[in-house]
Amino acid sequence: MARTRTTKSVAQRIDLNYFKRPTPFKRAKLWLAILAPVVAMVWIGWQVFGGDQRVYSSGPLSAAHAVLEKQCAACHVRESGGFSAKAADAACLACHDGPAHHPEMTAGSAPKQACAECHAEHRGRVRLAANTRNCAQCHGDLGVAGPGSRFTKRIRSFADGHPEFAALRTAATDGGAARDPGTIKLNHALHMKEIRSGPNGPLVQLTCGDCHRPSLSGETEWKYGDANYAAAMDSYTAAEEFAPGGSRGLPAMQPWSDRQLMAPVKFANACAGCHLLTFDARFEEGVPHDRPDVVHAFLVKKFSQYAAAHPGELREVQEPERSLTGRGAGPRTRTILAAQWVTEGVAVSEELLWHKTCSQCHAISATSLQDAEIARWDAVGSARGSAAGAAVKMRTDSAKLPAVAAANVTLQWLPHAKFDHDAHRGFACTGCHQNALKSKQTSDILIPGIAVCQTCHASGPGFASAACSDCHTYHDWAKRKEVKPTFLLPGLRGGN
Amino acid sequence: MLLDRSQRGWAWASLAISAAGLAMYSVEIIVDPGGARGGSTIGLLLGVVGFAFMLYAAALGARKRVPTWRLGRAQAWMRGHLWLGLLALPMILFHGGFRFGGALTRVLMWLLIITVASGVYGALLQSWIPKKMTAEVPLETIYDQIEHVRGLLRKEADLAVEALCGDLGFARKAEDDGQRAGGFTALRPIAASAGASAAVAPATEIVLLTEAESAPLRMFYLREMRIFLESPKKRGQRLADAARAEAVFANLRTVLPAVAGGTVGDLEGICGEARQLLRQERMHRWLHGWLLVHIPLSLALIVLGAVHAVLALRW
Repeated sequence: MARTRTTKSVAQRIDLNYFKRPTPFKRAKLWLAILAPVVAMVWIGWQVFGGDQRVYSSGPLSAAHAVLEKQCAACHVRESGGFSAKAADAACLACHDGPAHHPEMTAGSAPKQACAECHAEHRGRVRLAANTRNCAQCHGDLGVAGPGSRFTKRIRSFADGHPEFAALRTAATDGGAARDPGTIKLNHALHMKEIRSGPNGPLVQLTCGDCHRPSLSGETEWKYGDANYAAAMDSYTAAEEFAPGGSRGLPAMQPWSDRQLMAPVKFANACAGCHLLTFDARFEEGVPHDRPDVVHAFLVKKFSQYAAAHPGELREVQEPERSLTGRGAGPRTRTILAAQWVTEGVAVSEELLWHKTCSQCHAISATSLQDAEIARWDAVGSARGSAAGAAVKMRTDSAKLPAVAAANVTLQWLPHAKFDHDAHRGFACTGCHQNALKSKQTSDILIPGIAVCQTCHASGPGFASAACSDCHTYHDWAKRKEVKPTFLLPGLRGGN
Repeated sequence: MLLDRSQRGWAWASLAISAAGLAMYSVEIIVDPGGARGGSTIGLLLGVVGFAFMLYAAALGARKRVPTWRLGRAQAWMRGHLWLGLLALPMILFHGGFRFGGALTRVLMWLLIITVASGVYGALLQSWIPKKMTAEVPLETIYDQIEHVRGLLRKEADLAVEALCGDLGFARKAEDDGQRAGGFTALRPIAASAGASAAVAPATEIVLLTEAESAPLRMFYLREMRIFLESPKKRGQRLADAARAEAVFANLRTVLPAVAGGTVGDLEGICGEARQLLRQERMHRWLHGWLLVHIPLSLALIVLGAVHAVLALRW
């Protein structure tokens, strides 16, 4: 007999009071519903009464402020009678000054911004620097600057509106072709090919690093340098050597490391190995790489010492067949005074130096070329004057030292921006400085244009950062004021 | 609640609210150089809306506690719970600018994500499992009564077996005769005492088998079937599998006299019902198990959310 199932029989088997008795599932649900909020409250209470206020934090502090994680009150100042305790500028300024950006801002033409408007905290251990849009708030439409503004009015980002670097701007914007103000004559293209190292030296292939290095102090091995010149003390000043930094009324930014900028190329480190400053076959030593008066004094000293050591040199024999003028009617031999010999030797050497050796690289002025030896023998042979008179004339000419134009080397091509060569050390120099391979003129500016930077620095994935603060700073740190120290280390770390 | 076309209105409204939230968030990140922040005007507004949605969703629990209150239809409450609870997640993500922030906000964000995810999971299960249960468990009973019904089935089986094999020594209380599991054999005291219903099959005459004849049935029942009825969740039981159980009972019919065929059929029916109850239990755990996560975490979320609101306004 098969079992039979009816609605009534099914209903009869049910205990009608079943819902009054909790099942394990219902019990578990109830207890968990009680337990979870209780655990949450206990957790919060534990943090609060334990004095650890980090639980309230809306995010980790930046690396610069990480030490203040437990010190909410260090920045969040509660106003009297108020409930809110927002981060206050005064709290920021208690630890570090925040000098204004530009004089225009201090004059009140632009709204004063709270620190936290640009320096967003509680965003994790990232840099606290402002982002591009903070800057674009003003620079996106710099209307306050007026028509005579020195600054570009509309810069939204590095890709949108940022002008070409000032050093490279052309006549259309700055009233003249971009030129390197330096006076050292250098043909980069020539030096980047195979070139002979010295008058009788082998052919060598220079590399950029043979002359350009980020630091002078840490690099001692200069392939084409000369240790004697490197050790010598120069008498010329930085003002004669380097172009003044900064522009448009703004001071130049100071590099934060000695590897950030390329060090200026020095004759002692990069040139002396090939470009010898020898002046006379009697001497192996070259003249110092220094001011003309120092060179002159060096020559006088060297010739004087030589004359004292070699008195036979004071008797000279003229070789008529070598007289190019055909006026060899004078005496064939003569003996001159040591002082005259020195004067004449110095004069001849200086003629060589001023008009050939030095002027190969430097702009020399206030001197005229003359063949000192011919002039001397001419003077000796003429009826109008004596040998001593000629010597006096030569000496007078020698005393008239040339003027060497200031080198005017530009140390910082981007005076209002940071560029860190060290951060780019993985890239070949000529990848960015492409013109270095073909430049023949001293006046050529060889820094890469903004387009080269934008090849890598752009917004979006796959590009390096292009934030304003990567290159520029907002605050004028030249105006910084010292602050009074606030924190004590044990208390700070303990959160008290 | 079924996720069907009847939800379209709520779905469109939710989409519109999400789009509005996204638009506000977009305005925030475009206008504010610092990006979206919970403390900005728009950020606060999004946070308040998100928390309001959470509170509404949580109110469903309170509403269920007092079903007699005239506070709208239960269906509307359930749909609101589902869609507004779901909307709370994008609103809070917009509020926080997709950042999880500090310790408290990170905990809150994870609580919200787990709560919403478990709710969505539960909604999908509740849309699918009831249909499956209707198809696979036609003998479904009230979940809380499964153990009780299972006991009745065991007693019914005891009676059926003892009717053929004689007393097997199963202890029986007087009230046991008042209840049956829903299947009735020829020995049906409840039917007899309550007055025979038209739906109740008439009892047939049962013949007591000899010791030797009943031995296979007795052995099967004591060693296998009763154990299955007492502990159906125990692993490796042949009767837990429908195909194997069918083979077992077919074999039993061949070794027992033909007169025992009806009882064997009853026992097979009892085993089948026990299997369905087991299946129902498993489906029920899937259907409601997620609530063990969803409800406690949502309550913790509400509590910590309130704490966060107060602290955020202060700091």
